[in-house]
Amino acid sequence: MTDKITNWTSADDAMVENAIRRGASRRELLKLLLAGGAAVAAGGVVLGRATQAVAATPVSGGTFKAAGWSSSTADTLDPAKASLSTDYVRCCSLYNRLTFLDKDGVTQMELAESFDSKDAKTWTVKLRKGVTFHDGKDLTADDVVFSMKRHLDPAVGSKVAKIAAQMTGFKAVDKSTVEITLADPNADLPTILALHHFMIVQNGTTDFSKGIGTGAFVLQTFEPGVRSVVTKNKNYWKSGKPYLDSFEFIAISDDSARVNALLSGDVNFAASINPRAMKLLESQQGFELSKTTAGNYTDLNIRLDMDPGKKADFVTGMKYLVNREQIIKSALRGLGEIGNDQPVSPANIFHNADLKPKAFDPDKAKFHFQKAGLIGQSIPVVASDAATSSIDMAVIIQAAGADIGMKLDVQRVPSDGYWDNYWLKAPIHFGNINPRPTPDILFSLLYASNAPWNESQYKSAKFDKLLVEARGSLDQAKRKEIYGQMQTMVSEEAGTIIPAYISNVDALSSKVKGLEANPLGGMMGYAMAEYLWLEA
Amino acid sequence: MKSGVLNLVVKRLGIAVITLLIVLFAVFFATSMLPGDTASILLGQAATPEAVAGLREAMHLNDPAILRFLRWLLGLLHGDLGTSYANQMPVAALIGRRLVNTMELAAITTLISVPLALTLGITAAMLRGSLYDRTVTVLSIGVISVPEFMVATLAVLLFAVYLKWLPALSSVNEAHSLTDLVRIYAMPVITLTFVISAQMIRMTRAAVIETLSTPYVEMALLKGASRSRMVLRHALPNALGPIVNAVALSLSYLVGGVIIVETIFNYPGIAKLMVDAVATRDLPLIQSCAMIFCLGYLLLITAADIVAIMSNPRLR
Amino acid sequence: MTMARTVATRRSFLGHSYNLVGVVAALVILAWTLVAIFAPYIIPHPIGDIVDDDYFGQMRQGLWLGSDYLGRDMLSRVLMGARYTVGISLAAVSIACFLGVVLGMLAAVTGGWFDTCLSRFLDAMNSIPSKLFGLVVVAAVGSSIPVLILTLAVIYTPGAYRFARALAVNINTMDFMTVARVRGESTAYLIGSEILPNIIRPVLADFGLRFVFIVLLLSGLSFLGLGLQPPLADWGALVRENIGGLPFAAPAVIVPSLAIASLTISVNLLIDNLPQKIRDRDA
Repeated sequence: MTDKITNWTSADDAMVENAIRRGASRRELLKLLLAGGAAVAAGGVVLGRATQAVAATPVSGGTFKAAGWSSSTADTLDPAKASLSTDYVRCCSLYNRLTFLDKDGVTQMELAESFDSKDAKTWTVKLRKGVTFHDGKDLTADDVVFSMKRHLDPAVGSKVAKIAAQMTGFKAVDKSTVEITLADPNADLPTILALHHFMIVQNGTTDFSKGIGTGAFVLQTFEPGVRSVVTKNKNYWKSGKPYLDSFEFIAISDDSARVNALLSGDVNFAASINPRAMKLLESQQGFELSKTTAGNYTDLNIRLDMDPGKKADFVTGMKYLVNREQIIKSALRGLGEIGNDQPVSPANIFHNADLKPKAFDPDKAKFHFQKAGLIGQSIPVVASDAATSSIDMAVIIQAAGADIGMKLDVQRVPSDGYWDNYWLKAPIHFGNINPRPTPDILFSLLYASNAPWNESQYKSAKFDKLLVEARGSLDQAKRKEIYGQMQTMVSEEAGTIIPAYISNVDALSSKVKGLEANPLGGMMGYAMAEYLWLEA
Repeated sequence: MKSGVLNLVVKRLGIAVITLLIVLFAVFFATSMLPGDTASILLGQAATPEAVAGLREAMHLNDPAILRFLRWLLGLLHGDLGTSYANQMPVAALIGRRLVNTMELAAITTLISVPLALTLGITAAMLRGSLYDRTVTVLSIGVISVPEFMVATLAVLLFAVYLKWLPALSSVNEAHSLTDLVRIYAMPVITLTFVISAQMIRMTRAAVIETLSTPYVEMALLKGASRSRMVLRHALPNALGPIVNAVALSLSYLVGGVIIVETIFNYPGIAKLMVDAVATRDLPLIQSCAMIFCLGYLLLITAADIVAIMSNPRLR
Repeated sequence: MTMARTVATRRSFLGHSYNLVGVVAALVILAWTLVAIFAPYIIPHPIGDIVDDDYFGQMRQGLWLGSDYLGRDMLSRVLMGARYTVGISLAAVSIACFLGVVLGMLAAVTGGWFDTCLSRFLDAMNSIPSKLFGLVVVAAVGSSIPVLILTLAVIYTPGAYRFARALAVNINTMDFMTVARVRGESTAYLIGSEILPNIIRPVLADFGLRFVFIVLLLSGLSFLGLGLQPPLADWGALVRENIGGLPFAAPAVIVPSLAIASLTISVNLLIDNLPQKIRDRDA
């Protein structure tokens, strides 16, 4: 089998689109691509989408039906409680954020017009004027203050309570200006507010089942665990948008069923398909694939404060034992980018491209395991379907271990309660981290000494100091240098092995236009609804 | 005899209620043994001890579980099924439409599978050892040996993707005509029929074979009765008890066991609701679903018991 | 010739009559049992090794049954899977049916409170969804193969009980039972010599069916983490993990399905065609 898409990133997308804009012909494009090292077979699927994205103009109208992969009675329209793609997509269609991340990872304004600060501690946010909620009320500073403050209330159970905790003061200076005061200087505030949980809701909302926001669509039906239907907001402040008349979102958890629903025409869009289904889609006419590598990863965590993680040789040995290429090839079917054991992915502007991952070296691994005296001992590794592809990765590592005499016992546990019982707790286990827009968020959540999700219990005073320093600095070059250094520290000293950043592939009917890759995740960072249109 | 039958039914119903209570307690006990609670599960990766404590407080989950369960039971007596922990909606609203959907699917499947299975089982028994019998046996065992998700996926691949005759998803809310309904229900019903028929066919066949070899049946044959008369009037009434039990057991699957069909065809029934409820440790929803499943099962076996007793004069 | 006796030609051997279908079925079961016992010695590749760059590979030299979704050898995995499918399922169904039938007969003969209480209790157990039950078992007792076998047995005992009891109750009302009771026979005699022989055939049919259910449920419970840990897999799990190969008619998903079907059909055909003593009162 030939891989049709290999090493194709959003940068390649941009390159192709630019070339087309400059008038490149198909032949010139192919030359460009082959020169650049991309392995493109017929090129039809990939190139086709790029040319169309540029050439077409949006058409109004149509009913769009998309299928996500997970839905339950815990589905919610409250942005603070949103916990997975299904919630994010619904919230993006109903509400807006102050800022958002565009396809290059650059922060752009949405409900806010500008962010000003002299010291990165006190921020003045000017709001866009003339924006109304679905029920006719105007957007004011009070709405923004309410939306922000509620994350700090434990009764709300906000998923970003920890991140929001750094915002200590909110003031509605006037009807369209908000002043936000932080506990410590943080230059990333505008980017942080692009997180889906910080969507702006109406002042005083307690019942979110009506989904009243400023967004592109108005709520028509919401059945948690079944489906949602939203219809075009005729008074949307982004004039001309949305193009679609209505948007229905359901979830089909079975991979094959989701793809089949797309193939049979029951839905126009199937999110996050299994890479093994790509072969099937490529052989059928009328479908396209959209690949995003946003920085989502599944990592193997070894607790440094428990046996056997306490032995540094064990951790080093494991880093040599993990065959990253094999994992990307077999477990991810080529849909991933090699990881270098630190969380900042290539999609992020602060990514340290000079840091090379440890190569697969079973001999070195064996040497270190022997030094640690662990050859032949049975070592449990906890994996679960809750952490994407972790069981497949575990099996690959286990087989490599068996070749050198290491007995790694894979323990598959139910997804039910995984995050509660095993994640962060078992001596060796898998985790799965969703993309975050800034290194500061990632390091604060995962690697600071007092981080709530310090998977390997990595503690370093030096690291903590660098973290605070980079956060408060408004000097981009300096921040890049510090973050580069911190990435190296995590890669070499922490116990989290990150073999790859997982790519996400969405499949869609060729009639759906306007989809672009986004660093916040698949489905255009979950905000696709207002950007898509259906070809007549 | 009428008062006898009435007595029977009343007694059975009384026993059913007791069984229901046992089940509710058992399910409660089982759920409380599972680690985690709604607050920590809803918070998921965002669960820090403070966050969990705060949310638990806000959701009134700090009362001991047994107290909350008893409160739910009390509410049940007033017809109130409680409020879901996961999304604060009334449980009755969550269950309402989905229960109707499940019942519709179950009813259609029953109407098709029971007559089919009984016919095949009885005729196979009558023609025991013949090619027909062998074929029925091999086919019915072969069909249930295929895992349910494979049958469903195969059906979707064949009818929806390649032939494009039927929709891949059973979106009941988009049914505007009888043809729509037939198309929407076709594959789920076929899949379920495959899954539950075999038990009914095999057990019917076995029970009928057994009664056909008893002396009084042979006596009837000697008296000159025809084959079908033999089966219908002499053998069947005595095989009825076991047959009806086999049918009841198979049909009970249709209430709470069709999770795979619901997942693959995106059919909004209550099996998936129960799975969600367990995953979020949503006590009121779990108990309400368990109660419905149990009631369904009890209804079926009570009917089976009554039919079995009525069919055997010596038991009345 | 009686109507119920249109049996296919039976031959005679050592005082028992048997027929071809039964023999073939028995041979298939024997073959899989042998495979189950000797699997570790005959598999060409270790079951965890990735031997193919491609996935869902076709049957070819060296990879006789193709490769699975990760690129592992299907032949090895299917041969090894026989151990779990044959072994665990047989053990579990034997326990379930033995318990169910004995209790069912006891309940039918004893009647009264014993019957009522036992029936209610087992009905209640049948109402608990098996997935919930599986999760609780994992949480409470941890996971291992004996636990898996017991869990499967417990889930299916109530059904076996109910069916056996229904059969036994019918027999119990017959005259010869009343006679035996009047004679003063013990319960054990009533069960063993009077009821059991009369219900054994339908009960065996139930056994065969329950075996199929357990083979399939086995994969569902392993998926929950109960019992079989990766890279070990039973046939049901092999079908489940390779279902993505169905659109390509990949051997990875077809072969385990055929293996399951061959085993379950053989078990049931064997039950239908058990060798019978020529002087058996029904022959």
